[in-house]
Amino acid sequence: MTDNHEQPVLQVEHLDIKFNLRGKVLHAIRDVSLELYEGETLAIVGESGSGKSVLTKAFMGLNDSNGWVDHGSILYQGHDLARYTTEKEWLTIRGREIAMVLQDPMTSLNPLKTIGAQIEEALRLHQGLRGAAARQRTVELLNDVGITEPDRRRRQYPHEFSGGMRQRVIIAIALACRPRILICDEPTTALDVTIQAQIIRLIYDLVHRLHLTAIYITHDLGVVANVADRVAVMYAGDIVEIGTSREVFYSPAHPYTWALLSSLPQLGKKGEELYTIRGTPPNLYHHITGDAFAPRNPNALKADFIERPPFFDITPTHKARTWLLDERAPDIRPPQVLSRIQSLGQ
Amino acid sequence: MPEKLEPFVSVRDMHVTFGERRHRFEAVRGVSFDIFRGETFGLVGESGSGKTTIGRAILRIYPLSAGEVIFDGERISGKISSALDRRVTQRIQMIFQDPMASLNERAKVDYIVSEGLYNVARGISREERERRVADALSEVGLLPEFASRFPHEFSGGQRQRIGIARALIMEPEFIVADEPISALDVSIRAQVLNLMAALQKKRRLTYLFISHDLSVMRFICDRIAVIHLGRLVELSETEELFRHPLHPYTRALLSAIPQPSPDYARSGELIAYDPSVHDYRTDPPAWTELTPGHFVLGNQKECDAYRKEIEGSAKP
Repeated sequence: MTDNHEQPVLQVEHLDIKFNLRGKVLHAIRDVSLELYEGETLAIVGESGSGKSVLTKAFMGLNDSNGWVDHGSILYQGHDLARYTTEKEWLTIRGREIAMVLQDPMTSLNPLKTIGAQIEEALRLHQGLRGAAARQRTVELLNDVGITEPDRRRRQYPHEFSGGMRQRVIIAIALACRPRILICDEPTTALDVTIQAQIIRLIYDLVHRLHLTAIYITHDLGVVANVADRVAVMYAGDIVEIGTSREVFYSPAHPYTWALLSSLPQLGKKGEELYTIRGTPPNLYHHITGDAFAPRNPNALKADFIERPPFFDITPTHKARTWLLDERAPDIRPPQVLSRIQSLGQ
Repeated sequence: MPEKLEPFVSVRDMHVTFGERRHRFEAVRGVSFDIFRGETFGLVGESGSGKTTIGRAILRIYPLSAGEVIFDGERISGKISSALDRRVTQRIQMIFQDPMASLNERAKVDYIVSEGLYNVARGISREERERRVADALSEVGLLPEFASRFPHEFSGGQRQRIGIARALIMEPEFIVADEPISALDVSIRAQVLNLMAALQKKRRLTYLFISHDLSVMRFICDRIAVIHLGRLVELSETEELFRHPLHPYTRALLSAIPQPSPDYARSGELIAYDPSVHDYRTDPPAWTELTPGHFVLGNQKECDAYRKEIEGSAKP
């Protein structure tokens, strides 16, 4: 759990990220501010195109070259990562400070090199380890991520590993340089449910054992509830709600969070229609006025179309960008179906 | 819900084998089940379990190495007459998993949706074909004007609707839906599930819903069969399966579902399935109906234990 008096490890302030696509400008991240605290696991949820990957890739300088930070800062250890431009600067961050685990374990390993060689490569580049020392550390790392017989397995090639085992190897590579922050971008989406459950547990254990700070990107709310201390909900390039896991799942405040949770099949009853969000997300090539979700929100207020709502504090840890929290707003309650979340699994 | 308990689709002792001799691999090893008219029958399993193979074998995409498939009283596996083949092609359709990969990028929606008609409804006029395309599109909630566009102009959810329209235009009675929503965003999933449920009601469709996601299946399926390494291990009415999961593999699968509720998610215990818990050396397992409609694969000893458990939980 987080303690709000702490100094954040990473602080994002008023970040704007834009992309140039065939001469048109896409406003992918719109004035996002976010703090990441030591030792916590923050989940960022949102649909495809909401900007969750772009935001976190910006922490490592991994966005495509047609994208740029237009405004704002990303403060880490007294440095503003938003101003980093050269590969040389980024190499001081990537791997050794912030590491990433990607979605698809089938494509993120080199099929022509042994697992051991791929882990040792990271150790050599970042920590200068060679020979026996590197081998020993590799065995330790494989052991850490729950791969049995590490000394035999390190000599094998990726095709000799199953999907879940490959994802473990990728986690080992990410951990090779002892990063402080681990970013997991949909790490279990491509895996089977039982394997997914194992990987989720593994990441959870590692984060606590190695005192890592983790950012978990996913669109699967079930996974979020399993891993996250805090949850940030993204919509159209903006964080619309952020709070502890219990706050966001049990007392969500933003209409988009309501809609997202309401459409979960787990809350449905057979024979009844599931709640659906009408319309489509806004086009980020155009300027957005007001609350980006307003056109799809059946209870949108007039103010939602005119001015972007500020963050209203609900508790010291929970805030949401919606005019519904303004004292002048009418009393609009979340959909009834959300009360079913608390009784799930019972 | 099933209207009458007469099987519409029957899979009997299905075996599907790939490869030859030393590379022989039996993906489906003696699977039997019945699907009733108007119901949604779920097939759940992990990758490599053979769930997709079963779906495809029913559709005659893969040949059976043993066993048979009966559809509406007629055998449709193995050698069949070309007239029956054409009827089956029209009456059984499929919805695919990934709408980004399953549409021909170089064809217009008009052709994609109506392609099946060129086979089974030869000789219909162009106007008639266009009318049917427009009907199918509006039935899945798309505008008829979309017929002249290409797939890349659509979002994932819209593309899955095109995939459903392509199946519907054939006026099928039975649809095999292989992971139809796994590749979609949460909000789009709900739309596609609602659409499938509405179409089922309107057209009295029967679905075989193949998925790895039990939480979605609970919402849409009347009955669920659990498959592990090419064998069914349990089959039951949906709520019964969630209330009384008997086979250890079913329990492992249920325990692995991530519930979107933080308090519950953390208290839940993860059960791992270890096939060595079964002692089948002297007492081989059989497909046994423990309570009406609830089948499980187990030997005498296991079934006795399962029965006791059901009786135990029935008493308060």
